[in-house]
Amino acid sequence: MKLTGRAWKFAQADINTGLIRKQMYNHLPPQEQGKHCLESLDPKFATNARPGDFIVAGTNFGCGSSTPAHYSILALGIPAVIAESFGSLFFSNCVGGGLWPVVCPGILDLVDAGDLLEFDSDTFVVRNAATGKTLQGKALPPIYRATIEAGGEKPYLKARLAKERA
Amino acid sequence: MGGMHALHKILANCARPRQASVMPGEFVEVEPDIFGVILGVNGSDAKRLVADLEELGIDELPLKDRIVAVADHASPAPTVAMAQAQKLWRDFFRAKGIRSFDGGAGVSHLVLCEEGIARPGMLGIAIDSHAPTMGAIGMYATSLGGGRLTLYAIGRYVIEVPKVTLVRVSGTLRPGVFGRDASLYVNGQCGQRGAYNNAVEFAGTFIDQLSMDYRFTFTNMGTEMGAVTSYIQPDRVTEEWVNRRGADNYTIYETDTDFVYDKVHEIDVSKIGPQIAVPHAPDDVKAVDEVAGRKIDQAYIGSCASGRLEDMAAAAHVLKGRKVHPDVRLIVTPGSREVLKAATAAGYVLTLHEANAIVTSANCGACPGLHGGILAPGDVAITSITRNFEGRMGPGAEIYLASPATVAASAIEGRIASPLAYL
Repeated sequence: MKLTGRAWKFAQADINTGLIRKQMYNHLPPQEQGKHCLESLDPKFATNARPGDFIVAGTNFGCGSSTPAHYSILALGIPAVIAESFGSLFFSNCVGGGLWPVVCPGILDLVDAGDLLEFDSDTFVVRNAATGKTLQGKALPPIYRATIEAGGEKPYLKARLAKERA
Repeated sequence: MGGMHALHKILANCARPRQASVMPGEFVEVEPDIFGVILGVNGSDAKRLVADLEELGIDELPLKDRIVAVADHASPAPTVAMAQAQKLWRDFFRAKGIRSFDGGAGVSHLVLCEEGIARPGMLGIAIDSHAPTMGAIGMYATSLGGGRLTLYAIGRYVIEVPKVTLVRVSGTLRPGVFGRDASLYVNGQCGQRGAYNNAVEFAGTFIDQLSMDYRFTFTNMGTEMGAVTSYIQPDRVTEEWVNRRGADNYTIYETDTDFVYDKVHEIDVSKIGPQIAVPHAPDDVKAVDEVAGRKIDQAYIGSCASGRLEDMAAAAHVLKGRKVHPDVRLIVTPGSREVLKAATAAGYVLTLHEANAIVTSANCGACPGLHGGILAPGDVAITSITRNFEGRMGPGAEIYLASPATVAASAIEGRIASPLAYL
């Protein structure tokens, strides 16, 4: 599947989950959490981001707490985070939520803020539509791909259980 | 290719289907021995989980007898919204027959070890990024990220088999320097990505002679090196500790002699003094003397990093016969009820009260910034917690990380101070 969206760039290393969504908003319904997404780093991001946009990030994005900070990103309708690397807990939280976490070394050099990007979830190739340059992202294992393609854990489990019960 | 690490043997045993071996980089589906959950603070999350399980047609949870719930974050409830959320979570745990430890039991991963539920050789997957703390008893303990519904519904979880980083610590500490100082120093030396997405094993002559209390500190802080799990090979100290808690049925896995570590850090702690991590990174570690004199508003002792009996003892020792500075509030939150009871019996709690410290029930307390000592913007805190990320204990505040003795000394002086003069 090919996804196309505008890039929001958060280049600094080690952006922890508390910077993605402050712990004080942890108790809010997911949709409400979206309003506070990444507000510590860019107060206008949540207002200006559009469904379909991508987040482009640096090294160890989402390090720290296992808190489901990805809810705030999903709430904005963002389908993929493309980063130099991820914190492991945030990474698997994304998978469970149906959000593509794409490890793509070199992405910070490939993309400027606002560039139009294409991400191919079959090949994991990321293409900057503005420059035509491409990068090869790291492919996810089949079970993670199946989970995200299904739309997250619940639809994935539904299909798996239906198969097992059949 | 070399042999297997003990952690890999645990994963192979819990893989479904069971495997003779596992390779780093391989994704395996496992069935854990323990699924640790916490009393949540998000009500809509609880409702959604209940609805999702119903939609999937799951009534009886396959891991029911292996799931343990502990109320540690924001417990007892600090707000109406969180009280409502916790009520929903309690209802869920009761409906599903999940064993629960409610308010005041302590931090989940410490409680699991103390209760003899978590044992050497087990695979434990638990909510909370510091769940790897349990690796101090020689198990594979990792934090749940994603996959919660899958664990509840079908009892399975996917783990990417990690490479292993070895942190070999040697030396004997100078007087007045504590296990937490050594741990801070190690984090400073290894950095926030020192074991990035790897497992980390702590070993060496220093770890060998370390008490279980401080072994928990080390495995806890593996998380701040980016590790997915922390491990210390069980020895006599471990066995004595777990046996005393009734965990007599367990397996100790050994790492093959030809196992090849991905990275090795060699660290000597014999020359260090009291250490401190400055805002806003747990690996930005300096000697306390470098920042001594910085005025503080709050001092906090507790958390799963440094909420053990030896931490309470160090704080009480420094505060004995002294008073907390009038401009400072000192809050002490024991890591577990076991610690609180022992600290009470030993007289530490009275010493803390006499010094005008606030002693709370055992829980996560102020560490995750949800209750029990939230900081105001502009506040400066010195604490023994796990991490000093920006905004963790309250937006716009500054957090310094140090040993309980250094926190206590600073609470007395009203500014960051070395504990050496008090010991």
